[in-house]
Amino acid sequence: YRDLHTFELQVPTRLIEWARGNRICVAGYGQSDGNEILQLIPPPTLLTKETQGLCPERDFKVECGGFSERPVYSLKYVPDTSLLVTSGPPDSSLQVWQVSAEDSDIIKSVSTIATENDTGQSWAKIATISARAPWVLHGSRLDRVQITEVESRKNVYTAASRGSEELSGLAFLDCNTLLLCCATGRLCVADIRQPQNLMEAVSAPSAPCSEQWCMGTRHGAQGLEPSCQPVARLSSRGLLTLTDLRKTSEFLALAKARVPSPGSGAEFLCVSWAPALEGYLAISGFDGTVHVYDTQSWDSSGREAEPIFVHKGHAFGGAGGSGDSPLVTVHTWHLQKPRTLFSAASDGSLHVWDWVQPCGKC
Amino acid sequence: GAGQDVGRSCILVSIAGKNVMLDCGMHMGYNDDRRFPDFSYITQNGRLTDFLDCVIISHFHLDHCGALPYFSEMVGYDGPIYMTHPTKAICPILLEDYRKITVDKKGETNFFTSQMIKDCMKKVVAVHLHQTVQVDEELEIKAYYAGHVLGAAMFQIKVGCESVVYTGDYNMTPDRHLGAAWIDKCRPDLLISESTYATTIRDSKRCRERDFLKKVHETVERGGKVLIPVFALGRAQELCILLETFWERMNLKAPIYFSTGLTEKANHYYKLFITWTNQKIRKTFVQRNMFEFKHIKAFDRAFADNPGPMVVFATPGMLHAGQSLQIFRKWAGNEKNMVIMPGYCVQGTVGHKILSGQRKLEMEGRQILEVKMQVEYMSFSAHADAKGIMQLIRQAEPRNVLLVHGEAKKMEFLKQKIEQEFHVSCYMPANGETTTILTNPCIPVDISLGLLKRETAIGPLPDAKKPKLMHGTLLMKDNSFRLVSPEQALKELGLAEHQLRFTCRVHIQDPRKEHETVLRVYNHLKGILKDYSVQHLPDGSITVESILIQATAHSEDQGTKVLLVSWTYQDEELGSYLTSLLKKGLPQSTP
Repeated sequence: YRDLHTFELQVPTRLIEWARGNRICVAGYGQSDGNEILQLIPPPTLLTKETQGLCPERDFKVECGGFSERPVYSLKYVPDTSLLVTSGPPDSSLQVWQVSAEDSDIIKSVSTIATENDTGQSWAKIATISARAPWVLHGSRLDRVQITEVESRKNVYTAASRGSEELSGLAFLDCNTLLLCCATGRLCVADIRQPQNLMEAVSAPSAPCSEQWCMGTRHGAQGLEPSCQPVARLSSRGLLTLTDLRKTSEFLALAKARVPSPGSGAEFLCVSWAPALEGYLAISGFDGTVHVYDTQSWDSSGREAEPIFVHKGHAFGGAGGSGDSPLVTVHTWHLQKPRTLFSAASDGSLHVWDWVQPCGKC
Repeated sequence: GAGQDVGRSCILVSIAGKNVMLDCGMHMGYNDDRRFPDFSYITQNGRLTDFLDCVIISHFHLDHCGALPYFSEMVGYDGPIYMTHPTKAICPILLEDYRKITVDKKGETNFFTSQMIKDCMKKVVAVHLHQTVQVDEELEIKAYYAGHVLGAAMFQIKVGCESVVYTGDYNMTPDRHLGAAWIDKCRPDLLISESTYATTIRDSKRCRERDFLKKVHETVERGGKVLIPVFALGRAQELCILLETFWERMNLKAPIYFSTGLTEKANHYYKLFITWTNQKIRKTFVQRNMFEFKHIKAFDRAFADNPGPMVVFATPGMLHAGQSLQIFRKWAGNEKNMVIMPGYCVQGTVGHKILSGQRKLEMEGRQILEVKMQVEYMSFSAHADAKGIMQLIRQAEPRNVLLVHGEAKKMEFLKQKIEQEFHVSCYMPANGETTTILTNPCIPVDISLGLLKRETAIGPLPDAKKPKLMHGTLLMKDNSFRLVSPEQALKELGLAEHQLRFTCRVHIQDPRKEHETVLRVYNHLKGILKDYSVQHLPDGSITVESILIQATAHSEDQGTKVLLVSWTYQDEELGSYLTSLLKKGLPQSTP
């Protein structure tokens, strides 16, 4: 490690979202009422390029907070607005909130975007964009994907139905292109200018069933076509595939991560690309660790890959005692500092860590 | 400076006619009268001694007691001042230290003197933890352990059945030398808590300690010297224990020193106040002297010139005079060395200057000192965060909460959080603002023995779990309340009792003669009201207990009979029941 900071949240979170001004947002997902949404200001030490050891300002500050009546499973800020959108059980509706940090420290509930609710639907996955207007892309299943204008709550686009599998994630590749990832591993691409067409991209590598998949897309660097950034998919068995959306007939790379089996389920599976390091990605959700991989050396053989770094802090943290070791619920990369990550676990811990590049590489 | 917020704490509470002043702090950021609280808020005319019933000081930090000598000796107050024993012992030292800096170093004139500090402390009454102290016949106070620093206490102020708890600064997590704050379920009407750190999510202690040890280790490894200026008590203890453990584990050889004056003073206080530290310290103290560490030795002035690495703890904490300043001057020129400032430094001190970034200091005799050594700041401050505040509220169960905070920060979120979770009102007044809290006081009422005996005799037996309803008359006379029987009250007041009688007409369809209807009614009631005395009187009326029923024919319609049902107020229940029963009509089959 180059640096490691451990913090303890009052309740665990399963999301860490970046907001304007280098803020991050966390939220509670407990069963009972009164889940808090907290927008935090990270300590100055973590925002500067240099690491200062004993700087007095080492704490996170709660800048503002809100109270949610339902558990918050997903949260996305709406760019260029002071709004954010959340979703969570028991249904696939969305809640819209307003953040006005200068006036008050309350994140106010503004409105609800209701959706058709069939029985057995789970919570909606969400993605936001503010190209033509502030939009939120959401849906819990492949046949329930739509884009709603956040302020007017008008429906702007509904995806053509191509099956009713559960979704594990969705993203805007650009202001016209959507990428949808099913829990079965299937990836679909859609162009919102042609709502009748839902292009099948890639199916999952054939494998014994009951594997769940999630995806990670890269927020591309300026100027690059988003669709040329590889899409990573992670399965609950630890399989990782990289796909170039322009050449969907084959995998760019296929590898296996060393993860404990049987897995603890796919609830918190998370894979993400490093914004500032070419080809690096991180995975978590199997146990109390976060793995960092350099995918540049991968091929399509599917053999086991060696992680560049493994963060084990969450497994050791905690009060000890009761047998259950914590599960990492989410991780995210720092937007500027290339090797800094944030990770949170089911025991309420929040770690910020910076790893050292092993010798031989730079 | 150094990113810490130090205000001047001073809160005035008026409870049931008593006036109590909580803390009397000094603002370290100002150089003029703004550093003291504005005591004219308390009373415009009249003496403070007459107006205030007592003053309570929570702990020895200057932002809580720094203005005390000014208040008692220069503004004028001769009443009692309450604080814990350690606070009483340590306060004057800090005050004298501060006075020296302000007057001798900065040349200020409108400041309290050493004699004033002594005179002020003569007015202090020291209290023990959990000891109820009667300030006067009605006002009592009690101190609770607050953690934070040695001797820090939270105070409960009680007048009759109304009470307020003031927390001062407290910490809900124990550290290496102090325990965590604790209070019982005293259910005060109001809890006044500090909330300066309520919005922080703190870095784990382990990380801070690890970084501290890393810095010390790195310096010592490269042959440098580490100077840690400390005040005699508190953090110094923490750090000693920390270093000793680290040195042992890493098998380090560099010497660690503690300046002698410090050792004696610290030992003395720890012996006196061992009950104020935590379990671990008490255990080690029993086995050995507090400062008989394996790796930490007493310092001698000459050692500062020794070559090679070393770590030295020296007083005073802000590098403004004495041994720590001497050592600093010797070591400042070497970039291999390091000084780690342990806390807030007052403006004007060398500590403050170097923390602000100054690297060329003017010393006595116009000498310029170039500071090449590394300057680090360490914050191990022990305040309650949001989680701690919620914990304390959960422990004490107050009916209202008031949060005291330094700047006019927006704390809506915490306020809502407290209100939602505990269903109490939460206030956050600004400086100078008055907040009024409404309480529901209990008013004792005397009950006459006769009434008590009578009421307990009727109805179900008294049950500890079920409240029993009693009837009586409340007499309020001359500030006393009594509950007596209505007869007694009437007698005392010389009033005659009124009788209320209700009469109700019930129409029944019955073409027969009146006395036959009466018979029907009588048999019907007799059949139903088996537990009551139902009688058919010779004059043709029916009585049920004391209720009278008579039948007459309807004036216009022979087929209808009118039953007159009449009862007194005492038989209201039975009367209403009978009426509704009769309204249902008579069964056909009765003869």
